[in-house]
Amino acid sequence: MIKKLSTITLAAVAMLTLSACSGEKAAETKTYSKTTAEVYQQSCIKCHGANGAGKAEKKTPRLEDRTSAELEQDLFDVKNGGTNQSSGTDHEIMEHNMQKLIDKGYDYDVKSMAEYMYGTFKK
Amino acid sequence: MSKNQILEEILAEVDKHPEIMSRRDAFKYLTMSPLAASMLASATVGTTAVSASNVTGKVVIVGGGLAGMSTAARLRNSASDLDITVIEPNPLSTSYQPGQTLVGGGIWPKSELVYNRDDFVPDNVTLIKGSVTSFDPDNNKVIVDGKQEFTYDQMIVATGLMLNFQAIKGLTGVITSCNPDNAEAKKTVGNDGVHSIYFQDGSEATWTGIEELIAKAKKWKEGEPKLQAVFTHPNTPIKCGGAPKKIMYLTHAQLEKAGVRDAVELTFYPNGGKMFGVPEYHEAIVNQFKARGFKWNYKHNLVEVDKATKTATFNHHWTEKGEWDEDLEEYGVELKSKKVEVKYDFIHVTPPMKAPDVVASSKVGSSKGWIPVKKETLQHVKYKNVFSLGDVVAVPMGKTGGSARKQYKVIVNNVISALENDQKAIDSTNTKYAGYTVCPLVTGIGTVMLAEFNWTKKPTPMVPLDPTQERWIWWLLKVYLLKPMTQYGMLSGRA
Repeated sequence: MIKKLSTITLAAVAMLTLSACSGEKAAETKTYSKTTAEVYQQSCIKCHGANGAGKAEKKTPRLEDRTSAELEQDLFDVKNGGTNQSSGTDHEIMEHNMQKLIDKGYDYDVKSMAEYMYGTFKK
Repeated sequence: MSKNQILEEILAEVDKHPEIMSRRDAFKYLTMSPLAASMLASATVGTTAVSASNVTGKVVIVGGGLAGMSTAARLRNSASDLDITVIEPNPLSTSYQPGQTLVGGGIWPKSELVYNRDDFVPDNVTLIKGSVTSFDPDNNKVIVDGKQEFTYDQMIVATGLMLNFQAIKGLTGVITSCNPDNAEAKKTVGNDGVHSIYFQDGSEATWTGIEELIAKAKKWKEGEPKLQAVFTHPNTPIKCGGAPKKIMYLTHAQLEKAGVRDAVELTFYPNGGKMFGVPEYHEAIVNQFKARGFKWNYKHNLVEVDKATKTATFNHHWTEKGEWDEDLEEYGVELKSKKVEVKYDFIHVTPPMKAPDVVASSKVGSSKGWIPVKKETLQHVKYKNVFSLGDVVAVPMGKTGGSARKQYKVIVNNVISALENDQKAIDSTNTKYAGYTVCPLVTGIGTVMLAEFNWTKKPTPMVPLDPTQERWIWWLLKVYLLKPMTQYGMLSGRA
């Protein structure tokens, strides 16, 4: 019985692997026109400040005490307009601004931006 | 459980509803289809080999629902010398929550869902029937019921989340999905046309509510205003993001079956501005809504239910062009909102959800409550010997059993590595959660769209079929296959 089940598993795995090879392209790698540092220093910094302290008159949230994993999730939410099917986002203003900034070429990889911000704010 | 036993169990289930699918058709699908074969195989034998480790140490798992108990089982299978403790107060914690949609929709009786925690405690795992009342991660300990102290080398937090009905004015209770201690919520939810499949008893009451709606609809006459069935989706992360729509699809199907669909208008009121984060699935769902004559109003968040006048009040919000923003070099936007009142005959409430207060207010929580982790390794952002999975973890991915099923294997590998290597190098060497999740969106009686996706927000179907199509085969998977796969495969730590 065990042997028979293993064969089924192998067949299934083989089938899935094959379909992955034939149907799917290799993982997409997106290229960005600016480095993460350039995006932050040329754009984000205007409202979020060099240390993530924000700008009181714009009600920018304080980001300097967030870990890079938390920043990554916030950025993910901002770029995607929420992370649940129909829950929406509590970053509605930044969601709008982010789309405008992407149009202007200030696009970035979420993970590397989160790590950059965390590293820069801590200095 | 062997493959033949599972197959027999599935076919016995199919037999209960010959009107949906015949045993002959089901058998044909299950034996001929390589898809079903692969799923059956993964339910009976683990697809990833678990290598035995002789590591020792104390692991405390806070929460013994599907995520916590499956993690305990897989840890047990993987490292026989580990000292494993699960802390869980709810006697029905391992109940089958994905079935609540089917109970609410009149497909299953509630008895299909109810599973006793004590039947799923793995051998040689200590179960503590209590609740953690405080976390002290700086000293590697937790306190249970205010008095009993437990220390650990590694802690895994899998408490699940709270259904916060009382955040909506007029409703009551902060409860969990399957804890029978839910009297506070039942005062206002599960009667008088106000329903929610999000808790076990509520799902049974929902079907009664739909039957009452059908009875009312049978008395409706052409020319009278239509009966109003309202379906909500809140402004918080929720477990099973598809359920608010699934119960709408099933209500539609049951109204049609009863021949009274024309008497009722079905409207979806989500807080967000789309049906799904993945554009392909969003579009597919919009088309399914159109085909069924559903209405929908985006950006409406339920804030109050007045049961006396059968009125639901929503906070409708939107953005308008704001002032010129020098920094942005564009016009900014301003947030606008107003209250909108909607009359209902039947309302399905998806409650706002939150992390348990004891988690949110502790050092392992966060400002939003959910436990912050590195999303690939599921290791806590500040405490290296704390991991988290399931509904309480903050990852930008759906809170579903399908997510937990991917996460628990990652956690087991990483906890064992952490113990073996004294915490070093979890980030670079170990198993990573790729963000896969799955939403079997029940779109009718007999059809399901299997929406699978990952961090990239691209469809990631496990089989080469157009994932935006509604299919019989996924109905089989959702209604008959996933339960044995969860109860016998995942809760034993194998699938």
